Amino acid sequence: MISSIGILLTWVGSLNLIILFFSNNKKIFQSLVRINLLIHFMLFCLLEIGLFLDDFSIYYVANHSAATTPPIYKFASLWGSLDGSILLWNFVLSIYFYLYIKFYKSTTEIYDIKIFALIILFFNGFTIFSSSPFAGCVQLASIGCQDFTLLPFQDLVISDTGRGPNPLLQNHPLMAIHPPILYLGYIGLVLPFVISTSELFNNYKDENWIKVAEKATYFPWLFLTAGITLGAAWSYEVLGWGGYWAWDPVENVSFIPWLLATAFLHSSKTQIKEQTLINWNYVLSCLMFLSVIFGTFITRSGVLISVHAFSNGNIGTYLLIGLVMFTGLFVYIGIKNVNYFKSSKKVEHLFGRSGFFVANNIVLSASALIVLIGTTYPIFYESFFSKQLTMGRSFYDILVGPLLLILIYLMVFSTRVSKVNLNLKDWLGQNQNQINLSLILSIIFTVYFNASYKFIITIFGSILLIIVISKNILIRFKKTKLQGKYWTGQISHLGVGIFAVGLIMNVTQSYSNEIIISAGDEVNFGDKEFLILSPFEEIKSEKNVINLPIKFNNKEKYASLNIFKNSSQQAISSPAVFRNIESDTYVTIKVIDEDKYKLIFRENYGIFILWLGLGISSASFLTRIRK
Amino acid sequence: MKKYVSLFLLLFLLGLPSIVYEDNDSRYEKLSKSLLCPVCQGETLFDSPSEYADDMRGVLKEQIANGLSDEQIMNYWTLRFGERINTNPHDTNPFLLLIPIFLGALFAYVFYKKVRND
Repeated sequence: MISSIGILLTWVGSLNLIILFFSNNKKIFQSLVRINLLIHFMLFCLLEIGLFLDDFSIYYVANHSAATTPPIYKFASLWGSLDGSILLWNFVLSIYFYLYIKFYKSTTEIYDIKIFALIILFFNGFTIFSSSPFAGCVQLASIGCQDFTLLPFQDLVISDTGRGPNPLLQNHPLMAIHPPILYLGYIGLVLPFVISTSELFNNYKDENWIKVAEKATYFPWLFLTAGITLGAAWSYEVLGWGGYWAWDPVENVSFIPWLLATAFLHSSKTQIKEQTLINWNYVLSCLMFLSVIFGTFITRSGVLISVHAFSNGNIGTYLLIGLVMFTGLFVYIGIKNVNYFKSSKKVEHLFGRSGFFVANNIVLSASALIVLIGTTYPIFYESFFSKQLTMGRSFYDILVGPLLLILIYLMVFSTRVSKVNLNLKDWLGQNQNQINLSLILSIIFTVYFNASYKFIITIFGSILLIIVISKNILIRFKKTKLQGKYWTGQISHLGVGIFAVGLIMNVTQSYSNEIIISAGDEVNFGDKEFLILSPFEEIKSEKNVINLPIKFNNKEKYASLNIFKNSSQQAISSPAVFRNIESDTYVTIKVIDEDKYKLIFRENYGIFILWLGLGISSASFLTRIRK
Repeated sequence: MKKYVSLFLLLFLLGLPSIVYEDNDSRYEKLSKSLLCPVCQGETLFDSPSEYADDMRGVLKEQIANGLSDEQIMNYWTLRFGERINTNPHDTNPFLLLIPIFLGALFAYVFYKKVRND
């Protein structure tokens, strides 16, 4: 029943979008956009109802949920696999369509409506023609469902019990919020794409398009940052390997749009103030969204292996068609505007505001390019040499690391930058005390942590950044409130400086040790002493958990091993984390051999400082969204 | 005066690592971080909690204890699991680094040329 209603409603939704595409009347398309949002909201609710009622006649529910799945993970199952996540994708696109009409639409032209409708229609098409989360089950598998139908009112078979979500996805509540938040950021980059293409499609363009596009990027940028951060936190809390970023392909393809969006937020300002970089801003505003589709293509088509890999199906081909289509639109409109782009002014002062933004954009875009190359290398390598290739962490450390270091120094010198060239001598004179204080702190840092050559330059830059900005804020704070765009940027940069210090501490100081113990043993790790208590087993409906209590300073935490029922996958180890400002002690169970436990103790430095910096950076943008 | 203090402090800072820094990463750590766990999804031997990786770590520790060189150890693993087990392929194939460096520099050059008033 739910299956049929869902499929019919998807058809109605697409029909509505087709009418929307051809409608020219303001009143009509405004109502149709609202109806579109309502339909996608209903589709979202409908699948949730299916999940909560354990309607195993639905292919998706039978394969990605189970009767024993706890409610929060039933809710999250909607985006736990490909078909459902496309439903969420379309719902988020519809939300943005509505927000666009309400807050951002500034012209009376209707190309934007047409382009937006076309984009949602395109993704809706996938659920109609290829695979739908509402597809009914027509053939059972041993557990779950084997085959499906895309038509309503068919004779469906019902499986007894569902297969349940991927164990990794039902191990921590963060999983329930990380994907939707990330989607709000990732997909939100459709806004600048629609705004710049539709505005430049016009022959009488409004010069304000860049302001609208910039404003529309804040919201997605904030959610993309929060989503990536939550993903990192999830990885740290759940995956049990003690890290937060692995340069995994799916992480990379969320990082590429983030780098481009960050570049755009900077470069748009020079166009607004000095009419420079107009062509580049057009490219960037589109590239953000195109990189989102490209990223989804390479990670969802099955050409790459990653922790995030979903089932493939023919989504690859479909996304490739979309990518070609939207890139075509971008190129066509670009060519159409060659003369307009020529009106872009040249950058006069290389060490003035525009110059800094140019440098920032070169560094951020080059980083995006390198991450893209690293992510796609394995694909090219395999097609040319028929050999598989793995690009690990050090590739990115070697190439992206130095670029991020340049960014830190750019931020240091851009604390007081005007239209004309920065006078280095004046700058040094004004900041003499801050420089000396930073040098002293860097020396203390270096001695305390035994830091290497590689890192002292970064350490000094980050500390200098924090101190220079903090001093500015303190002086300013005494006089007036912190207002205006300048301070949003500065506080955000302050967060980056703090983040960088945490990152350096984490990369250079963390250490780990494998320890084999029995219950009742005392463990000395670093200069800390841990007591291992007796383990006990917890039997839940969806999993069995072996908990090993570990005691430190009167705090007791469990390192546990989760063994999921209905799953062929290996057991998942959840860490016990003893948090501290300087460093976390992170304990995971690696192997249980009768009454012996092989534990990994890790001392992870700088984690708290890292989150703090990211938090400050993101929070600085909250004030900008309202305007 | 303050300028000289800065200069002195800077030189002192730059000289410091040669006194205080020592490389604590063991060979085991370096090697296990550059080998991929073949049954996991994108995790290195060092990171992976799987039992299979644990067995492999055992073999790796034995190899180090037996005094095999880094090259011998990497050869052993790539022969059995293919090149994809090496997560640092750029160590032996510098083109993997040179291509992105060249493209990045080209991008920066073109960008600079386009925005400058020449």
